[in-house]
Amino acid sequence: MDDTWLKRNTFHYKDFQDIERLVAVKEERGLTISVCLPTLNEEKTIGKEIVILRSELMTRFPLIDELVVVDSGSTDRTGDVARAFGAEFYRADDILPELGLRRGKGENLWKALYITRGDIIVYLDADIKNIHHRFAYGLIGPLVLNDRIRYAKAFYDRPIATGKNVMRPTGGGRVTELVIRPLFSIYFPELTQILQPLSGEYAAYRDILEQVPFPIGYGIETSLILDICQRWGMDAICQVDLEKRIHRNQDTKALGKMAFVVMQTFFRRLNRLGALTSGPPMHNQMIQYRLVGDAYVPELFTCDGFERPPMIDVPAYRSKFGRSRPAVENARENVSGLDKAPSGD
Amino acid sequence: MDAIIARLPEFVQVIEAIREIVLANVVLLGQIPSPTFQEQHRTVALLERLAQAQVDECTTDGYRNPVGIVRGTDSNRPPIFVVAHLDTPFGKEVDHDYTVGENDIVGPGILDNSVGVGVLASLPQIFRHLGLRFASDIVLAGVIQSMGKGNLRGVRHLLKTWPTPISGAVVMEGFELGRIDHYSEGMVRAEIECRTRPEHAPGHGHEPRFRPNPILVLNEAINKILEIRLPQRPRSQVIVGRISGGLKHGVIPYSAQLGIEIQSTSHQMVKSISDQIQDLVTGLGYEHEVDMDIKIISNVRASRLPFHHPLVKVASQIITALGIQPVLSHSESELSVFLSRQIPAVAIGLTLGENLHQLDARMEIGPLSRGIAQVLGVLLAIDSGICHG
Repeated sequence: MDDTWLKRNTFHYKDFQDIERLVAVKEERGLTISVCLPTLNEEKTIGKEIVILRSELMTRFPLIDELVVVDSGSTDRTGDVARAFGAEFYRADDILPELGLRRGKGENLWKALYITRGDIIVYLDADIKNIHHRFAYGLIGPLVLNDRIRYAKAFYDRPIATGKNVMRPTGGGRVTELVIRPLFSIYFPELTQILQPLSGEYAAYRDILEQVPFPIGYGIETSLILDICQRWGMDAICQVDLEKRIHRNQDTKALGKMAFVVMQTFFRRLNRLGALTSGPPMHNQMIQYRLVGDAYVPELFTCDGFERPPMIDVPAYRSKFGRSRPAVENARENVSGLDKAPSGD
Repeated sequence: MDAIIARLPEFVQVIEAIREIVLANVVLLGQIPSPTFQEQHRTVALLERLAQAQVDECTTDGYRNPVGIVRGTDSNRPPIFVVAHLDTPFGKEVDHDYTVGENDIVGPGILDNSVGVGVLASLPQIFRHLGLRFASDIVLAGVIQSMGKGNLRGVRHLLKTWPTPISGAVVMEGFELGRIDHYSEGMVRAEIECRTRPEHAPGHGHEPRFRPNPILVLNEAINKILEIRLPQRPRSQVIVGRISGGLKHGVIPYSAQLGIEIQSTSHQMVKSISDQIQDLVTGLGYEHEVDMDIKIISNVRASRLPFHHPLVKVASQIITALGIQPVLSHSESELSVFLSRQIPAVAIGLTLGENLHQLDARMEIGPLSRGIAQVLGVLLAIDSGICHG
């Protein structure tokens, strides 16, 4: 197993903790940086994420130029809390409504491309209990300091809060270890060097994010890795050790749904590459059972696998940012076998 | 003094404009568990925050209290101390997860004393934003081992080994805004333990059916403590604060523990009451054929800054000018160690809140800016020389 990439492209957040230097290089290069927090009912954690990011990376050091929250329709006080601490708060449904309404994390991240202005976009999950500004500067650092890196991905230890204010010191990353790592090992062994491909924290240059499709749900992390690797090569990607991340525990059924979407995203790409040429069609329903009385009742979870097209294909976006579609776009897509338009298969 | 009071509205305004700096420090430091005797992680984090805030000197003393120094303009002036204790009443197994709401922060230890530590870490930047320069050095000290069995060891060591005289001190407590503590009562905190004797302990043959019951013996101890005649003057009391013991409903326990605190405005009275309790504990042990002992885990000498001391008067004026009714009181915290060394000091509260020592302790964000403005006003007053002569 060749681990060249692992050695060359793995960093630690402490490599970038000289924030003054990051600011100086950023300004010298004329870059702007946006942070996007996708939310759905995150009133418990959104406040401290905004407070800490604003304090450390906006007020004290002007590394971040804007901090936006894109919300999937929270019914709690997420929006009020976000606004109270000065974040720009958007409802995903209000962004590009003419393209239809969809719900999901990937949808929020995709629409963030339209409402942010940064050359670099940092995506952070909004449920990080031990939020620290290293989650942002650790990902920004390699992008600002290294011309080769276009996409920075987090990895970390994942203790789980099991409720009642008690921590379980190890665990987490179950979908990674049980689903995506085995799949990578089978089809793309070199990608196993990415230690936590499903981590929800990553940053990238706008000019690559705008050129890839975005699954609207949990499949976004998988698709970004596969698509960016395929188009720009693994050397455009790095991973950064952010040490410890504490998040809410999810039950097995919820993880099952997540695993379903991840696998769906993976196999769709595999299919487009021609690796799956025969066999039964893929279904878009996850079937789980629960015991009601003495009967097992099926619970269906439907995911149509809808993907947003590369943002560069959206005329409103090109108009707003004064961009044109890269000339080689079509040729690249023909090679990769990926659709450029949304699909519902 | 008028000049200081005139600047208070500006202080409040600027602090509110940069409030995320303070709140970030409160969360970043407060979410690090810091039970007494295990404050290392919070110590390191506070040092990092002070270093990042570019204080002039940043170090730990011989007892590992983290200390940052903002150098003053007059090197001949004795320094002014600002102190917040680093320990909290919750263990490392407790998830110190804070929720920042629109108007409050909720989580274990937030009021005692994460908000104090967060403000301590923020002061260098607040000084900078307000353009405040002091003639004296400002020593920002996070002290360890303050609570319970810690018995104020951190601050005791810090002051014992500090090489120069000290102008005065402000002790910051999270709760509650308006409080101005200027004296400490004498206090002894003790644990009484009652155990069945070894021959009655499990594993020593057949257990007698009617062996002594440590819980009942402690009950007898409580009754006898309540019979102690306490004077009206000096004002004194004994608080029975904790009791524990026993295995299950139908089993005579093998041990039980009682936590008491003796408080008095006279240290001699504290000692006298403490001696009486020691005697009655010894007597009960013989009488009931159990092993009983009393262990002193913490003690504070009674000491005070007179009500008419300029520091107390100025602190009252400042808090009044900020629109808050001052409440003059006492605390047996770091304040007592400063006062017992004849260093003028007050302990002040920073904000309002509720559920002080519960997992869902809540601090209000709004009042915090006035709490911090109060600290700044008192520091400027001490710097102007009110504690000299």
